[in-house]
Formats: sequence, structure tokens, C-alpha cells
Amino acid sequence: MPPNPPAHAPVSPASDAPTQKEDHVTRKIRARYLAPAVLGAAAMALATAGTASGAAAHATHKKSKAVKLTVERPASGTISEAGSSLLYPLWNLWVPGYNAKYPQVTVQTAAGGSGHGISEATAGTIQIGSSDAYLSTSDKQAAKTLENIPLAISAQEIFYHLTGVTAHLKLSGRVLAQIYDGKVTKWNTAAIAKLNPGVSLPSIPIVTLHRSDGSGDTFLFTTYLSDSTKGWASKVGYNTTVTWPSAPGALGETGNSGMLAGCKATPGCIAYVGISYQTQALGDGLVYAQLKNGKGQYIMPSPTTVAAEAAGFAKKTPKTGAQSMIDGKIKNGYPIINYEYAIVSKRQSSSSEAKAVRSLLEWAINPADGNNATYLSQVGFRPLPLRVADNSFGEIKAIK
Amino acid sequence: MTRTRRRSVFTVVFRVGTVLALALVLAPAAWLVAGVVSRAAAHWQWSVLWTNLYGEQGGLLGPITGTLILMAGVLLIAGTIGVLAGIHLAELGRPRRGGSPGGTWLRMASDVLSGFPSIVLGYVGYVALVVGLHWQFSLLPALLVLSVMVVPYIAKATETALRQVPTNYREGAEALGMRTGYALRKVVLRSAAPGIITGLLIALAIAGGETAPLLFTAEFSSGVWTGSFIHAHGFGYLTYLVFTFWSYPSKHANYLSYDAALILIVMVLVLLVAARIVVARTQRHSEGAQR
Amino acid sequence: MTTAQNAAGAAGVPPPAARGPIRTRPGDVLRSVAAALRAGETGAWRWGARVAVLLPFAALVFVVAVLAVKAYPAVRLNGGSFFTHSAWKIGSTYAQTVKTDGIAHPLGSSYGAWPMIAGTLQTSAIAVVIALPISIGCAFALTERLPRFLSRPLGFAIELLAGVPSVVLGLWGVLTFGPALSKTVYPFIATHLPNVPVFSFFKGTVGHGEGLLTGGLVLTLMIVPIITATTADLFRQVPTLPKEGGEALGMTDFEVANKITLRWVRSGIIGATVLGLGRALGETMALVLTVGAIFKVAPNVYSPMTTIAAAIATQLDSALTDGTGFSVASLAEIALVLAVMSVLVNLAARWIVHRTSRLGGPVGRAA
Repeated sequence: MPPNPPAHAPVSPASDAPTQKEDHVTRKIRARYLAPAVLGAAAMALATAGTASGAAAHATHKKSKAVKLTVERPASGTISEAGSSLLYPLWNLWVPGYNAKYPQVTVQTAAGGSGHGISEATAGTIQIGSSDAYLSTSDKQAAKTLENIPLAISAQEIFYHLTGVTAHLKLSGRVLAQIYDGKVTKWNTAAIAKLNPGVSLPSIPIVTLHRSDGSGDTFLFTTYLSDSTKGWASKVGYNTTVTWPSAPGALGETGNSGMLAGCKATPGCIAYVGISYQTQALGDGLVYAQLKNGKGQYIMPSPTTVAAEAAGFAKKTPKTGAQSMIDGKIKNGYPIINYEYAIVSKRQSSSSEAKAVRSLLEWAINPADGNNATYLSQVGFRPLPLRVADNSFGEIKAIK
Repeated sequence: MTRTRRRSVFTVVFRVGTVLALALVLAPAAWLVAGVVSRAAAHWQWSVLWTNLYGEQGGLLGPITGTLILMAGVLLIAGTIGVLAGIHLAELGRPRRGGSPGGTWLRMASDVLSGFPSIVLGYVGYVALVVGLHWQFSLLPALLVLSVMVVPYIAKATETALRQVPTNYREGAEALGMRTGYALRKVVLRSAAPGIITGLLIALAIAGGETAPLLFTAEFSSGVWTGSFIHAHGFGYLTYLVFTFWSYPSKHANYLSYDAALILIVMVLVLLVAARIVVARTQRHSEGAQR
Repeated sequence: MTTAQNAAGAAGVPPPAARGPIRTRPGDVLRSVAAALRAGETGAWRWGARVAVLLPFAALVFVVAVLAVKAYPAVRLNGGSFFTHSAWKIGSTYAQTVKTDGIAHPLGSSYGAWPMIAGTLQTSAIAVVIALPISIGCAFALTERLPRFLSRPLGFAIELLAGVPSVVLGLWGVLTFGPALSKTVYPFIATHLPNVPVFSFFKGTVGHGEGLLTGGLVLTLMIVPIITATTADLFRQVPTLPKEGGEALGMTDFEVANKITLRWVRSGIIGATVLGLGRALGETMALVLTVGAIFKVAPNVYSPMTTIAAAIATQLDSALTDGTGFSVASLAEIALVLAVMSVLVNLAARWIVHRTSRLGGPVGRAA
């Protein structure tokens, strides 16, 4: 059962689930304040949009000009979303929550990988493409009206299947690159043992799992490897699809769930999986690793470490939202985190469809609705920093 | 070993070998059906058949109706075109000297199309219809691609059925003064009907079981068909669930996948049994039947 | 006018002149309309049938044309190394796009389709090599060895196997069949084969069920019904006289089957096998699920690999993320290769079958 969405009011902190009586009262409050709030937000959006060159000047005053995040009420319609399997579980939590308030919009969700999300959004066959990766240069050249809108902050974990090893192994980007390159082939090799003294590693071969579909998880993982080792950066690089080097016994899987299914069935496997599948993975008997960050620390993925890393990037994130948050050399920050993007075209096929899309996305980034801990904590995500949420709101408003 | 001994050994090996070959085919087939049935039956709920699908929750109503609609559409489009094409190849083509029926090139094109990789057809459908004509993922591109796939089977079945109609019938019709078209409708097609219907039923089974061409022309949609042929938001069908839902983390999605596989097998079974019944029934009534 | 008179003559109505002054009665009008319709009906059938029979041909031409147009940039740039190189590289789409020979593509992209082509040939070869003897054995079992009350239902069961959707076969392959084989049969083969270089392809790591051999075996299950049905039909058409003559001469069952029946229908069986091969080449869904998705030629028979059709199915979305369109063009090129392979194999099959079935006679048979 989806949680009761908390009382909706502009930029109010999350409250507990309202009773019937409170709902009635809140509706009155909303009715009284919503119109001026929307007008205020619209006015502010117009003001900020009008002076593109003054954006820098605005940045210094941004604290006082925090955009009020509102949610539009749409007419009836259907929205298709597809793409990132990392974001997919969250969409399946968001949609019933959204529909509880706005049942007139039907939302179709699908996984298929970030590559699928980007390509279908480009082709115009879906309205919202989900992707863990921001748009590439060639994507932007091919479709100039696309924008990538951050929706939440997620992370990626490295899971392994070793019976008898319950410790969270310490792994670095360099060692992972060697593993996926086929240079380190057994678990008890010196490279891994050196990082994990005191852990008895079995002498079984490492089976590397990678994504065969166009995957934002691949993008994140290969960015981390490219940042850690120059050899990987020049030989393989980073992308949603890469040419994987020959590692013995390597397997290709489809989707995060395919990675989990494959790793569960293969003792000795190592796989990169999104944090939204952590409960599933732990239930399957897999363990996640501690990863080395730019400061040389080995960090466990947890809400605190993800939040620490995200905080370091909040100021750097541009208005377009395209920002890699891999390995930011932030103290106590988990190195593989990312914004989850909605790839949407600024030109929708009809204004009513545009309104429905805007409404859904505004609901998603609103800290009182979609960006609330009731949804995000179920998948291990973090909410957007306010500054980034404001940027996203501006991007959403540009959808016509 | 003496020659006689060797020959008897070969005979025994042959007899055993043929039965073994049969077992090697039927055992995995039975294992397959048992596997699907057991996985689906373990968590079967009849409500799956009439509950709507939403995301990963619910039942299979939308995909079931989707597959049935695809079959009906293919029956209409490919059925008409295929039967007419078969009629041309069998009856109305200009005959060549030497008695052979014309239309060799056309028959060849039709046969070549019947073995064409379905993924390539799906890709062309995506490029030309979904993106090129801006039809987006909807029913019509899917129907067109499936029809192109299935027309050759129907044409071949129709042609075979028409060739089986005894020449005497045609001669009798002409003797009575019937025009070709009228004779075709009233006499020839009527006797060829069982063969044609069998071909249609098998084509429906093929169309219902296809996935690859539909992945790129209809993608997917959870709900029941809204009535739009183009500019829709995808179109749902059972095989998509079998392809994707089995690996999703949600257990309910896995059950839906197995249920979809079971329903597909049942559909195919019904269609093929119906085809057999049609053949058996008419064989009982027609002359020269092999009893 | 003429048609009405003809129709009137055919229907047995006396010509108007014999009936006195001409008075058009409603019955006459209806009759002449019906006659005109019947006459036009032939034309309608003829023209409808002509249009219908041209449609598959037009569709085939359209498909090949679209593929050729889409693949052109890739054909120009990839050249012959497309068929020999092994790396399928999209390149860095996050860097600037470059232009070679006027064709835009991401930096570092290079496409080699050899693993896919090899994979397609390997899986199809395994399927055909295993399916042929099994199908012949089944056909013999169904037509000669088993009593009628068994051969009918078992023949129907094989027909049902042909109707099972390929994606259901693939699902069973990846969930049940593959893992079961990799725990029992594969280790048995890998350990018990002699350590000779010839057999090295069948030894080594056994994996967990997703691989070349599993895909090949699932493909075998898909093409056996096709070959069995055709072969059984052919066996039934072999005249009994030569067979009885052979038995009268003292030949055993096996010798009659081998020297007489098989020899009689040899080209038909070859044709049916080539047909099965055509089906195997283009098979997508069952292989996507069972062969894994590794873009390298399989080092041993149990390893994951990929085929052309499976690669197209899984890589299309990735290819579409390349905004220059070059990746899609390369996929279109390999799709064109598969289409050409399939067309050639089908034509060969039809030619072989046609040579032996003598469709030269007039339509219909004597009742």
C-alpha cells in the first residue's frame, strides 16, 4: 500500500500522514494560498528566465529568492515513462502516490535501461525517459530540445557473491579496473588481499558481470573506473555502452534485476548494481563492498555518506543539471553517486500533455511529495538539495 | 562379427534409435510444459484473468486482450491478403506454356518472406512507421509488421488447399456455365475452406507468440486498448511479460510472467486443436478421405 | 448489353425478342444486375488477388530498401573490416563528434561484427547437426514404427512444440533447462572427453547454463518439428512397392529405410533441413534469453556469446543513444547481412524442394 501522501502546501516540511479532518483543513489552506503561491512562482520564474546573463548575479541572491515549488493540476491524460532500471522501482512507488492525488493521469512505467530512456525520449515515442546518465554531446546535437532534469540522488554499489565472506570487502577503482580487465582473476589475488587483511578470501575465479543493454549504471561504473585509472580511461572510457575487455567467464546481463539474478546464480561473481536493489541483493545473500574515494578513504554506502558526497556537488551543479558526481574527493563521501534524470523534450505534442508531464515531475521533485523520505528511503535515495530542486523546477517549467 | 549378426545389430539399433529420437524430442517438450505449468500453478489466481495491470501490480487483463486484438487484426489484414494471394498463385495466375502455373517470382518472394528474421522486420517497422511516420508505439505498426510476417504462411496454406480441390469440381462448374469468380466463391473456396481455415489458425498461433517485431513497434502498455491505432502510448501483449517480468525483483511480477507463459501455451493449444478438428471433420465428409 | 444477353442465355430465360414488346420489368433489372455482378466478380477476384500477391513482394523490396538506405553510412565507413574485426565500439558519445569521409560519428567508434556472425553460424550449425538425425529418427518412428493410435497424438505433440512461442522456450531455457544441463550434462561431457586438441572446444569451464550449447539445444527443439513434419510427409509419399520389394529380397527394416526410403526423399530432406536452417538463422528471442550477451567469439562450447539477431535486439536501444546515427547504421548493416543470409538460405531450400516435388501439373487432382 503506498503511504498516504503528506499534506500538500507550498514549500512546507514533511508532516505525518494526515487524518481525514486535517485533509479537509489542509485543502482549505491550500485553496487560500495556492493561487498566490503559483502566481508568485510564475512571476519569479519569469524574472529569473528573463535575465539569462544576470544568472550569476542571481546566484549570489539565491538564498533569498528560493523558488516556491508547486504542483500543477493537470487535465486527464496518459504519460509514458521508460528507461533506467535503477529509477524504475522508485517510479513504481511514485505513480500510486501521484495517482492518489491526481487520478486523472495514467502513467505507464517501464524499465529497459537508461539508453532506452534516452533514445525513446529523443525519438518522441515516450514523454519521460529515465536515465542515470546525463545527455551526451551527440544526444544533444541530435535533439536540441531535450533537457535532463535531476529528480533525486541515487548511488551504486558493488556486490559480490562469496559464500563464507560476510565482511564488506574494501575495493578501489584501480583494483576493480584490473578485475574487469581480466588482469585479476581470482578472489585471493594479492591486489585484493592487500586491501583486506584479515579476511580469508576463497581461491575461486572472479566472474565479472556487466550490463549488455544501454545502461546508466554502466556509465556510472565506467566513470568511476576511468577516474581511478588512466589505462581504463584510454582503453575503454565511459559511456552507457562500452566495449568490455575480455575477462574470463564474464557474463552480460540485462537490467539491474538481471545483474542480481546472474550474481545470485554464480558463486564468485562481482556486479555493479543500483542502490534501489539493495534489499533484494542482501536478501539474495550478496554483500556490498566499501569503495575507495578520492581522499583515500574506504567508504560504506549509507545515507550519510551519500548525502556528504551530494552536498559537495550541490553548488557545482549547473542549471542544466548535467553533473557527474563520481568521486568528488569529498571527505567521508561515497564515491559513486548520481542524479537520476528525467530526459524530457521541451516541446511536447500538446499543451495538455505538457501540463501532465510538468505536473508529474513537479510532484516528483517536491520535498513534500515525491522527494519525501517516505518514498526515497524505500530505495535508498536522497532528496535533491534545494538549489538543485529549484533548477529542476525551472527546467520543468520550460516544458511546453 | 558375421554379416548376419551385424545386420541384426543394425536393425535393433535402428528400431531403438527411432524411438529414442522421439523420446529425445518429447521429453524436453513435456519438461517445458511441466515447468511452465508448475511455476504458474504454484501461485495461480483466477483473478489474474480479469484484473487490470498497473505497473507491476494487478493481473493480465490488458495484455490478454492485447494479444487477442493482435490476433484478430492479423486475421483481418493478413487473412484477406494471404487468402487472395493464395488464390492468385493457385488459380488466377497466367499459366505458362507446359502447364506450370505462373507466378514463380511472386511465389518465391512470398516464400522468402516467410523465413525472414522477425527482428529485422521489427527494426524496419520502427524506423519507417514508429519514427518515420510518427505513429509512435501503437497498434497499427504492430499489426502491419505481424501481417507481413504471417501473410506467406496463409498464402501457402491457401494455395495448397486450392490445389487439393478436385479438378472435376472446377470442370463441373464451368460446364454449368458459372463464371470463374462465381465458381471460385461458391464451389472451389468452399471445398478448400478447411485447409484455408487451418492455415489461418496456425497463422494466429504464430502471431500470438511473436515478441521481437512487437518490441520495436508496440513497446508495451499496461492498460486495455483505448481504441487508438496510432499515436498511442504503446500497446500491451502477453509475450512482453514473459520476456521481461521474469527477472524483475518483485515476486508478483515473476508470477505474472509465468502466468502469461501458461496462457500463451493454452492459446496455442486451443488454436492447434481447433485446426485439427477442422481437418478431421471435413475429412469425414469429403470423398477420398484417408480413414 | 452483351453480358446481359449472355447471362440471360445462361440462365435459361428466352431472349427478349421472343417475348414480344420490350418491357423492362424489375425482375429483369435485378437479373441483369446480378449477371453483371457475377461477370464483374471474376474481375474483382482477379484484381484483388493480383494486388494481394504483389504485397509480399513489395514488402520485401521495401524492407531491403530501408535497410540499405539506413546502412549506407556504415557500409562506406566500416568497409571490409566489418566482417573480420571483433570489437563493437560505440565510441565516446560524451566527447565531440568527428567526421570521416563526410560521415559524422563519435570519436573512437569502430564496428566489427565477426563475433556476431560466428555466433549465428555456430548456433545454427549445432542446431542443424543435432536436429537432422533426431528428426529423421522421429519421422521414421511416426510413420513406420509406431501403431496408429500412438503416432497420431505424438505427431500432434510435436506439432504443438512447433507452436510454442520462442520466448517461452527461451524462458524455460534460462530458468530450468540451462542450469540443469550445466549441473549435470555439461560437467559430464567436459570431464569425460579425452584430452585431445580436437575436443578442446568441449572442455573447460562449464559455466552456469547461459551459453552457446544451451542456445544451440533450444534452437534444436525449435527446428526439429519443422524438419520432422516435412520428412514424415515425404516418407508417407514413398510408394510401398519398392519398399515391399526390398523386404521381399530379404532386406532388414534398417536397410529398407536407409537404402530405399531415405534415398527416395533425400533432396526433400535436404530442402527441409535448409528450411530449418533458415529459421535458426533468424531466431531471436529464445537466443537472447539463453546465450548471454558477450560480444566475443565463444572460447568453448559452454561460454556465453551472441548472435546477429540477439545483438540487434539487445543493442538497438544502446545504438539509438548515439545521436550521430552511426551506431544505428552499423546495426542496420549487420541486419542487412542477416537478411541477405536468410534470403539466400531460403531460396536454396525452395530450389532444392522444388526440384523434387514437381509442381508442374495443373491445379487440382482427380477426385
